[in-house]
Parts: sequence; structure tokens; C-alpha cells
Amino acid sequence: MGLADTQDAATAAQPPPPSNSPESDVPALPMHAGRVPSIGGGVPSGASRFRIFIVDSGWNSAARKVLLENFALIRDLQKEDPIYVLSREKSIEFMRRHGSRIGRDPIIAVHDMQALQKGGTAGFHGFRLSLGLLRTPHQALMGLQAFARFLVTNRQSGDLEADIRALLRREGLTGAIEIAMHHEAREIGE
Amino acid sequence: MFDRVTEVFSLVLGALALGYLVYEIDRRQRKLHDIWNVLDGEDAILTASLEDMVESGELQPYAGATLA
Repeated sequence: MGLADTQDAATAAQPPPPSNSPESDVPALPMHAGRVPSIGGGVPSGASRFRIFIVDSGWNSAARKVLLENFALIRDLQKEDPIYVLSREKSIEFMRRHGSRIGRDPIIAVHDMQALQKGGTAGFHGFRLSLGLLRTPHQALMGLQAFARFLVTNRQSGDLEADIRALLRREGLTGAIEIAMHHEAREIGE
Repeated sequence: MFDRVTEVFSLVLGALALGYLVYEIDRRQRKLHDIWNVLDGEDAILTASLEDMVESGELQPYAGATLA
């Protein structure tokens, strides 16, 4: 079962399906019992700074396992923002349309609604974490943690783009310092 | 003569170490940018298609709370 054949679950509130589907031995995300109150196009009430999308076509990867195992925590940490999980079918369709993304999923895309309302999609409007590029469970977990930390700490940011670029610079420099000090490679990207 | 050779050798080693450091920083930066992408005009179509799915109600917020 795909990460979110769960999407339909959002509306159906059915009991969880068996997790040992033939497609993968990764357990499926649980079905949930209720819906987030929505307004208009499904945006939860209250101002959400971000919209989070998860695209996962179902590769049996370490990153996928880590995402599934930690999804509940991510969900709890990002309560203010709606998370949209594309069904496996929708994710595959998405990958077929954007072939260069194949193998990079699970992908977590974060749309900055503030930036989208200001400047549309022409300029900066969010960021994307290609979790599937992280090959080991440890790397994937660190990536997810960095993702959650970044969203929580930058929720009120006036310039999210600058914050992201600063984060990337900082990570690069930290890596360099660790090389210089002969420490083990840390991380997100390593 | 021996001092001179040692000096040149040290210089080469230093240059190699510095080169490796620069290479490693660049490699890590590239990888980081590969993993963490900023969404901009190049992603407009992609973003629009996801937003359209939300606006049309095709995608609903996932409300799962815990893993079984």
C-alpha cells in the first residue's frame, strides 16, 4: 500500500488495512478516525503558514520506512499546517509527469502560503525535501528531524528563503569543519 | 637542500589538503542542494498542480495522529 492510499482514508475513516501488502513490507500509515475541519479547498481553519505535501510512489526504501515510522511525530509537530498525502496512484502519476523526480521520493514539498499569496509561483514559494536521496535510515531520520526543526523554528519567519539558504550554508560549513577535525560525517546530505 | 625539499613537500601537502577541503565543501553543498530544493519559478507547474488538487478538493488534509 502506498504511503497514502491514506488520502482516501482522510474522508472515509475506515479501519486500517493490512500492512503486509504484496507491494511492500513497509507498514502503511494508519487510517484516521476524523477529518480536520476544513474551509473551502480543504484548508484547516485558522491561518496556516505552510501546506505540506507528501509524494511517495512506494519504493521499498530506508527513507520510506523512516517516514512511515515517524509520520505521527511529524504530524504532531506540524499541527498548525495541513499535510496532504498523495495516494500511491497519484504519486506514480506525478512521477510519470515529472520523470526527473523518480527515485527521489518520498518527497516532502512545503508551500509557503505567505509567499504564494504575495508573489504567486513565479518567485520563491517554498521548499522541497527529497527524502529518497538519503540512503540510510540514519540519514533519513536526520533529514526528517532537520525538516521538522526548520519548520517549527521558522514558522514566523519574514524571509523564509533567506533562512533556507542560511541553513544550507551552515550545514555545508559544519560539514567542512567536521572534515577538518576528522569527525565522522554527520548527516543530512552525507 | 634538504630543508628546501621539506618545505616544498609541506607546501604541496598543504595545497592538497586545502584542495580536498574545498572539494568536499563543494560536494556537500551540491548534495545538500539536491536534497533540499528551494521552490521557485522552475517549479511553478508542479506547485500549481498540487495547489489545484487542494482547491478542487481532490486532496484533503491528512489527519492521522498515531501509528498503530
